[in-house]
Amino acid sequence: MKKNRMLIDMPADLAVRIEDLSITYKINVDTKKTLKNAIMRASKGEKVRMRTVEAVKHMNLDIPHGSVLGIVGANGAGKSTLMRSIAGILPPTEGRITVNGKISTLLALGVGFNPALSGRDNIILGGLASGLTKEEIAAKTDEIARFADLPDGFIDMPVRTYSSGMYGRVAFAVAVAMTPDILLLDEALSAGDAAFKEKSFLRMRELVQEARTIVIVSHALQTVKDLCTHAIWMHKGQILAKGDAGEITEKYLEFLNVGTLPSNLEDF
Amino acid sequence: MAHLRLMSEKKSEPASGASHVNDLGHVKEATPSLIQVFEPHKASLPPVGAYMREFWSRKRFSLELARFADKAEYLESNLGKVWLVLNPLLLAFVYFLLVTVLRGGSDKAHGFTTLAHILIGLFTFYFAQNVISDGAQSITSGGRLILNQAFPRTLLPLSSAIRSFWQYIPTIPVYIVVVVIGKFFIPKADIHIFSWALLWIPYVTFCLALTAFGMALIFATMNVYFRDTSKLLSYTTRIWLYASPVLWLPEMLHGWHRAILYVNPLGPALSATAEIWIRGHQPTLAQIIGLAVWAVIAMIFGGYFFISRERDFAVRI
Ligand SMILES: Nc1ncnc2c1ncn2[C@@H]1O[C@H](COP(=O)(O)OP(=O)(O)OP(=O)(O)O)[C@@H](O)[C@H]1O
Ligand SMILES: [Mg+2]
Repeated sequence: MKKNRMLIDMPADLAVRIEDLSITYKINVDTKKTLKNAIMRASKGEKVRMRTVEAVKHMNLDIPHGSVLGIVGANGAGKSTLMRSIAGILPPTEGRITVNGKISTLLALGVGFNPALSGRDNIILGGLASGLTKEEIAAKTDEIARFADLPDGFIDMPVRTYSSGMYGRVAFAVAVAMTPDILLLDEALSAGDAAFKEKSFLRMRELVQEARTIVIVSHALQTVKDLCTHAIWMHKGQILAKGDAGEITEKYLEFLNVGTLPSNLEDF
Repeated sequence: MAHLRLMSEKKSEPASGASHVNDLGHVKEATPSLIQVFEPHKASLPPVGAYMREFWSRKRFSLELARFADKAEYLESNLGKVWLVLNPLLLAFVYFLLVTVLRGGSDKAHGFTTLAHILIGLFTFYFAQNVISDGAQSITSGGRLILNQAFPRTLLPLSSAIRSFWQYIPTIPVYIVVVVIGKFFIPKADIHIFSWALLWIPYVTFCLALTAFGMALIFATMNVYFRDTSKLLSYTTRIWLYASPVLWLPEMLHGWHRAILYVNPLGPALSATAEIWIRGHQPTLAQIIGLAVWAVIAMIFGGYFFISRERDFAVRI
């Protein structure tokens, strides 16, 4: 790691640097992915038809330490794809992502909790999955359970008995508990009630005060407005606009209402 | 395209970037502790050293994943655990009946030795089979964990292997109990219960585990690309069982036929295990070497095949 740091030209005040990033999904269009089908096709000399989806296209972005970046955009704009690639889950098809700091993720679809186990067990599992040691997570379990603040004893009940908000509370509590340098949240706060939202906003502000970085993907524009210092608007895999969070959400809202892109952005 | 840069309002002086003055005027470290670079790859290995370090530092995750999977599975029924032992035990008896009927029966002592051989062979074979088939499915069933967390994916098949090992452990006392009881009634049976040769068991089991784990890596990768791999595997393992010295004895083979014992990746382990438990003999040199060779081959091939493709898994799952 030390050697890397000397080789890589990354300003110390940056948390994430994205250079010319493209991510392409390859989708096998018309067959089931089985060995049987592959052999049948090969014997007939047919080619497998592939469709490619360019989810992110030639994107450049620097995110400094201590900033809260909001990402807005229509369904399928590539927001989740971008988040997964920053987290190191999806490799770039082209370009490069440099990340400086410990990442914690709370991405769409939830955490992969085991529904048969209790909330407490899942906290341990979630912590280990995101890279904490057994001792670290054991020391924090009570704190996390307290933060999630589930009603009467639910924390020791199987997760399958949870409401989606309760589920979201536990997941969020785990994600912030590991005091990440970079926190990636994809639609993470949508299920929480007002009280929990308040609490999570406070916690995120604390993280920012410690010069930690947060990236938020949300369709709740008010959340983006309230929390973020900056925002980008993604459209078909590209950055359509960037700047102040209030300004971007305004523009995006206008687009949603009117349904046309701002005239100066029409070339996208 | 112009390089977009989001400026922080409270931007610190660029040179000293490591420290940061926040709204409260406190100077805090920006903790630039860990730099990671993600770049494109073409079915090639990531930096092996870094991968291994990451794998090693997070091995605990595998263990806990196995523990919790066990816990989840047996939360409802405690009978489940009993079945794990009962199932191979009953199957062993079925196979034993089959073998004796086919052979046209034999004297009691010899029959009991055959039973013991089938028992320990089948238990050991099932250990390897579970490592392989559970491991093969560990990636495709890893769903959200794989989509939402970054970690060395080898930890998932490892977790399956750990669970399989835990299931294997209790079958050994079952074998010993059966043999002890049997020897009580049929003292003539030529079975050693305890011998110094047992000291070889850890080595044999370790090599067998590595061999099976390496193959689990291969099948797990294949299963991502071809979802019917695991179904195919269930037929393959059955044939594999018949090709292994479990239902027959290694010494039934002569001349070049003995090659079957070594071409089969599980062959050396299974014949060595039977030799140790039944005869109390140390494994032969050929077996000791065969064990190590298969373990190394499986780990190198499996490891390369899996690790060089694992960054694709999230896209294809
Ligand atoms: N696993 C996948 N396989 C193939 N294509 C995918 C996969 N995941 C996403 N895509 C495609 O990539 C594009 C971007 O998807 P992505 O999930 O990043 O959008 P998003 O901005 O997060 O949308 P949403 O607001 O609905 O969450 C879409 O066209 C989608 O169809
Ligand atoms: Mg999304």
